[in-house]
Amino acid sequence: MAIAASKVKSAGAAQSPVLGAAMFSPAVLYILLLIGAPFALAIFYAFSDARIGSTQLHYVGLENFRSILQSPSFRQAVQNSIVFTVGSQLIVVVCATILSLALEAPFRGRGLVRFLILLPWVAPVSLGTIGWKWILDSIYSVITWVLVWLHLFSPYDTPMWLGEPHLAMASVICVHCWRMIPFATVIMLAGSSAIPKEIPEAAEIDGAGYFSTLFRIKIPMMLPIINVAVLFGIIFTFTDMTVVYILTDGGPFDSTQTLPLLAFTTGIQGSDLAAGAAISLFLVPVLVAVAYFMLRVAHRAEVV
Amino acid sequence: MARKRSREFTRRELLKTTGGAALAAGIGSAFLFPERAAAQQRTLKICQWSHFVPAWDEWFNKHYTVEWGQKNNVNVVVDNINLNDLPARAASEVSAQKGHDLFMFLSPPASHEKNVVDMTHVYQEVERKHGKKIDLAHKSTYNPKTKKYFAFSDAYTPDPGNWHKDWWTAVGYPNGPDTYDDLLDGAVKIRKTTGHPCGLGLAQELDTSMAMRAILWSFGGAEQDEAGNVTLNSKYTVDALKYMKSLYQQTETPEVFTWTPPSNNQAMLAGRVSYVANAISITRQSERENMPIDSEIMISRALKGPVRRIAAEHVMNCYIIWNFADEKDLAQKFLIDYMDHFHDGFVAGQFYNFPCFPKTVPDLQKEISSDSRAHPPDKYKVLGDVLEWATNVGYPGYASAGISEAFYAWLIPTMFAKVARGDETAENAAKAADEEYRRIFARWA
Repeated sequence: MAIAASKVKSAGAAQSPVLGAAMFSPAVLYILLLIGAPFALAIFYAFSDARIGSTQLHYVGLENFRSILQSPSFRQAVQNSIVFTVGSQLIVVVCATILSLALEAPFRGRGLVRFLILLPWVAPVSLGTIGWKWILDSIYSVITWVLVWLHLFSPYDTPMWLGEPHLAMASVICVHCWRMIPFATVIMLAGSSAIPKEIPEAAEIDGAGYFSTLFRIKIPMMLPIINVAVLFGIIFTFTDMTVVYILTDGGPFDSTQTLPLLAFTTGIQGSDLAAGAAISLFLVPVLVAVAYFMLRVAHRAEVV
Repeated sequence: MARKRSREFTRRELLKTTGGAALAAGIGSAFLFPERAAAQQRTLKICQWSHFVPAWDEWFNKHYTVEWGQKNNVNVVVDNINLNDLPARAASEVSAQKGHDLFMFLSPPASHEKNVVDMTHVYQEVERKHGKKIDLAHKSTYNPKTKKYFAFSDAYTPDPGNWHKDWWTAVGYPNGPDTYDDLLDGAVKIRKTTGHPCGLGLAQELDTSMAMRAILWSFGGAEQDEAGNVTLNSKYTVDALKYMKSLYQQTETPEVFTWTPPSNNQAMLAGRVSYVANAISITRQSERENMPIDSEIMISRALKGPVRRIAAEHVMNCYIIWNFADEKDLAQKFLIDYMDHFHDGFVAGQFYNFPCFPKTVPDLQKEISSDSRAHPPDKYKVLGDVLEWATNVGYPGYASAGISEAFYAWLIPTMFAKVARGDETAENAAKAADEEYRRIFARWA
């Protein structure tokens, strides 16, 4: 009787609108203060003549957008952001899918391998990227040193990982993948672990081989969770500036310039807050569309 | 037993005793001397870069500011941050309308003019004691439109050439290159005979920005004229771009596109490159660390181009005082007093900081001509006439807000890099960069 009363009381508390609102409010406050307010401020700045050194603002309409559209650096940054995002996500999806399938089966030392794979994600991104900067350095690169030692290149004619436009873009994509693959792997591992064991076993009994099971059963069943990983990855990549900032600072000559970095250099280093805000707002339609699809896919995955 | 008790006292009682004594001293002095306690509360907060010559920070942070603080009953707090973080830090302070009282930029912060105290008074006081400032300081900290000094410059850093003695001697230049023609000729020969490339950067960073401006000006080009009108798209700029393309393609490797400010230091000290344009931080490091290459690296004046011999300052110290600073008067007094001791900093910084008020270092030529750390001791003698060839960013005009934004958009290095790699013709690159300058200048008009 006492237990029943307690259950009723608990249910009542859970249904209390005041308690519910109180418990929900920290999350709402967090979003409003740390995401909503800066976002609103960015919109406000983008239509003004805000400068870092001035506290006075005037409405200028679409002038900032008109101005940055004329900038070759901006046009290059849009193109690079797409290449950076699409390129890295393709690699991340393939590698993370392979890793998640490989790590699903039990083997000796699986825990240690999972831990090691997760390390790039848990390590501070700046530290990891500085490490990569040294690995890809023009003078002290260990990769270059090995290539020279193997007599594949002469000491004064080595590949400049961050100095050639295509190599530089490939380098920033690879380093970003190094960081993102663990995150995607964990998501996909959760997805693959949720596949009922009976289904692939039944397929095996029916004579399906490894690849047939993989491509016709496992991967299709993992698709919703793969979509979630990809969409998260797109948002993280499209808005990331750390890797590019540390490795190349947008160079050589804007060939790795991306929108978040350009917004930072224009708005903060160049003191033109309004133009920086306008550049950052160009990300919004893409991110809104991605977020919409992400929520839909997540909902579908939940239903499945 | 007695020893054991003694150890217990040191671990526990010591904390209690010293803590109690400190508390008593604090409360006691505040109770007995309330005026002093109130005065002690004044704090001057300074933010500046972590100096390339650590000995300067040692002198400034641990000696000068401590002594000045004791003399004036002020608690001086100095925060040293990485040079790349200065703009973002300043932006956050302006946004919060709170921060340091004195903030030092390494390039003219013209865009902050509306948020800073006019430094005319500081300049007047310092000039009264130490004579006129150099034109470089004036052009870097003054806005002729508003007639306001938005910053105070105590020092600048020359941007000379650094060349490898053995290699340049072997190709017929025992005194190093003197002109840009010498540089091209000698660097090509060194590259052919030894494989060592030339080391003028082409990246989106500070040292490249200065080196490329030196070439631009030496060939007669400029970002703007004296009145602040954009003049980049000119025959002179095209000539400078063609020269750099030739230098890059014959003597350099793509590594110069990857460089950050310390990269040319590292390349020179690693014995990899034959010539770089940089401050004396390279040789100071080789001296400090007793590197064998030290006696091989020589210093030269800015190279002479077809039109003039000129180079940008490498670093321009620009102190500002925020309008919202708590201790505006104190900050001004600090700067005025600090200039009385500039010579101490000049010595402590191993000649990295050259004076904007020449009379603060009256025997500069003599001092730099005989440096016991240098090999040979007169290595830095060539910097004696630096004021004849050092100028400000924005030359021949002022370092305006538009110039500052264009500087951080890396327009000049990008223009040179595109042409050097052959991705753009010199004519098209000059035209495109000129349009970008006009767009940016229009935003600050």
